[in-house]
Amino acid sequence: MKLPVKTIDPDKPWDVTRLPTTTVPEGSRPHADPGDTQCFLGAGEIMQPPKLQEAVAKIRNWFRAMSLNVLAFGTGCGAIELRPLRTSRFDMERYGITGAPTPRQSNVFIISGYLSTKTLKRVVRSYEQMPNPKWVVGLGSCTINGGMYWDSYNTIKVLDLYMPVDVYISGCMPRPEALIAGFDYLMRDIKAGRANGWHHYLENLAWYRENQKKVLTDWDLPDYSW
Amino acid sequence: MELLPNIGWTLLSLFVAVNYGFLINGLIRKVMARIQGRIGPPLWQPYIDMGKLLFQRNSIMHGYMHWLGPVFRSVGGIGVFVLLPVVFGDLRLQGFSAYGDLLLVLYFMFFGSLGMALGAGEGGHPHSPIGVSRGLSQMTAYELPFILAIVAVVAAVGSFQINDIVAAQQGGWQNWFLFSNPFATVAAFIAILGMNMYAPFNIVGAPTEIPVGPPTEYQNTYFSLMMIGRAAFGIAKMVLYMNLFLGGATSIAEAFVKVFLIYFWSVFVGAVFPRFRTDHSVAFFLRWPTAIGVAGVILTQWMY
Amino acid sequence: MNELKQIDPQDRAAAGAAIAAVLQERFGEFAVHVQRDDLVRIDVPRRDIIPVLSYLRSETPFVQLTHMTVIDWLEDGEFELMYLVTAPTLRVSLMICYRFPRENAEAESVFNLWLQAETYEQEINEMYGIHFPDSPRQGIPFILEGWDDIPPMRREFDTVAYCERVHPERPGRSHEDSRAYVGRTVGEKGYLK
Repeated sequence: MKLPVKTIDPDKPWDVTRLPTTTVPEGSRPHADPGDTQCFLGAGEIMQPPKLQEAVAKIRNWFRAMSLNVLAFGTGCGAIELRPLRTSRFDMERYGITGAPTPRQSNVFIISGYLSTKTLKRVVRSYEQMPNPKWVVGLGSCTINGGMYWDSYNTIKVLDLYMPVDVYISGCMPRPEALIAGFDYLMRDIKAGRANGWHHYLENLAWYRENQKKVLTDWDLPDYSW
Repeated sequence: MELLPNIGWTLLSLFVAVNYGFLINGLIRKVMARIQGRIGPPLWQPYIDMGKLLFQRNSIMHGYMHWLGPVFRSVGGIGVFVLLPVVFGDLRLQGFSAYGDLLLVLYFMFFGSLGMALGAGEGGHPHSPIGVSRGLSQMTAYELPFILAIVAVVAAVGSFQINDIVAAQQGGWQNWFLFSNPFATVAAFIAILGMNMYAPFNIVGAPTEIPVGPPTEYQNTYFSLMMIGRAAFGIAKMVLYMNLFLGGATSIAEAFVKVFLIYFWSVFVGAVFPRFRTDHSVAFFLRWPTAIGVAGVILTQWMY
Repeated sequence: MNELKQIDPQDRAAAGAAIAAVLQERFGEFAVHVQRDDLVRIDVPRRDIIPVLSYLRSETPFVQLTHMTVIDWLEDGEFELMYLVTAPTLRVSLMICYRFPRENAEAESVFNLWLQAETYEQEINEMYGIHFPDSPRQGIPFILEGWDDIPPMRREFDTVAYCERVHPERPGRSHEDSRAYVGRTVGEKGYLK
């Protein structure tokens, strides 16, 4: 099952009739819908839709940014810095950020720390089960350039090749204050319409798959984990 | 009252109840945060969550039965609210209580949970039926003290109509069943902890364990429907309790205050308790609350 | 065994020495090294390993298998397998070690004595390539899925070369010796200059 990569008409990016579609085994036809963001293909050009679409997009992005659900999947050692965020010292619920244990109800996936190849397969599966739009936060230096596991046979060094990342937070581990600053960046990007990693993933799915299959030699996932 | 104005006033009171439910849910998160020493989200956070859910896309559909689960739950919640009189003596806020009595209300309350049980199993997630079976076994357990309390109240009044039950409690606060039949009230107020599924009886949801139990596979639109149903159902249960045990309300402000107090009884208990396992909770409900309920029924027979 | 029962549990060094003496009396001369007051190392020949462990488990207070690991002596061409056996009542541990050749490495399984050895032996099989006959779950991957190279904990496995081949790197990463960096910023005395 391939996702046909259709290009978006730059004059009418909100035109839903020209969205890429696909079929899943049950026969329903969910679609990937990049038409509601401002950032599209082609070297990062920002298209200007008419004023009404712009106002609706602003409201939509504001709602999405003020109520983030973080998937409760601690992939590495950085997850230990996520727990203090729920306690009374660094309360993150005051920004509207809560945790969701199921990918179907979450928006943000935090890759906390190193990512071994065994975890990468499960992460890819969980990421694809999340509904759009969704964002990925890379926590720690291991996601940026391998960190202290730069010479390990089992961990990946560049997270960008396997998943689209919206915010990187460097550190080993970053303190909870740094995490809150990272969430602030993410919320600002979402409100400005710049955080479109999920769109990039859908449009370039073949490239991401190729990178993933190079590392995950025993690939037994479906073509897309709806 | 005529049918058309009745529908209009009922829809208006339903709208107010759903908004009140949202605000109470926001206040619950704030209060729980303050109990734990945090700040907590703003009061209107459920509205923001609702907005976010409506602005997202669904990525998969598991069939029509799966979609009907939240529909059943919402219909159960809204149906219970519509069948209850909110304010005693005010003709506009009687809802459709003239068309159905307490038995119909009880049927509708369990209708929502059963519909949810049917829908959750269709999701294909192996842990949703586990949450469903836990929820249903806990429900059969807390029904026992609840029904005993209702039997005590109905036997004292002699009628199943909720308006008659409220009328029997008028004439001063000593006539409320809270004070004239404390055993029945205590049994019912312990049963409401199981009904609201706050700690210690939140094994149904058990976040992160199975991931959230029955609502695991439900995405954005379905989840927003469940939020509306949850708000309406919550307020409806509190209105029912207010009418049965706290003497009803003779003005809108009194209704707001009493609903608030009963809601926060379960929230305050839930903020400080850990979780029971299913076998613990079933055994708990079948022991002391049932004994207290039986004592309530005996008290009724002895007093009246 | 009677001398073990008369030992004061606080005097752990005496317990370690006593158990070594008991083993030597029963099984012959071993190399014994008292490393700490609660840790004694005993090197046994390969033919005595299962009798020694069975004796320890059934007739002495040393009933718990705490750990099992491998030391790779590449220059000698041998593997050394170490069992860490503890007496919970005395709080003394023994390291029972024995060596065997690296070629077609096979070792005896202690799964019949301690059930938890199954997991340790599975991991050792995956990471070192040592085969334990009679141990279940041999050959079933534990951490490495789809591994196609030699077992990675062996010393002839070049981790850096494998990593450069398989995992791409982000350009612009600089390597610096950590001692030099710390010496520059923190100074010799350990606080900021």
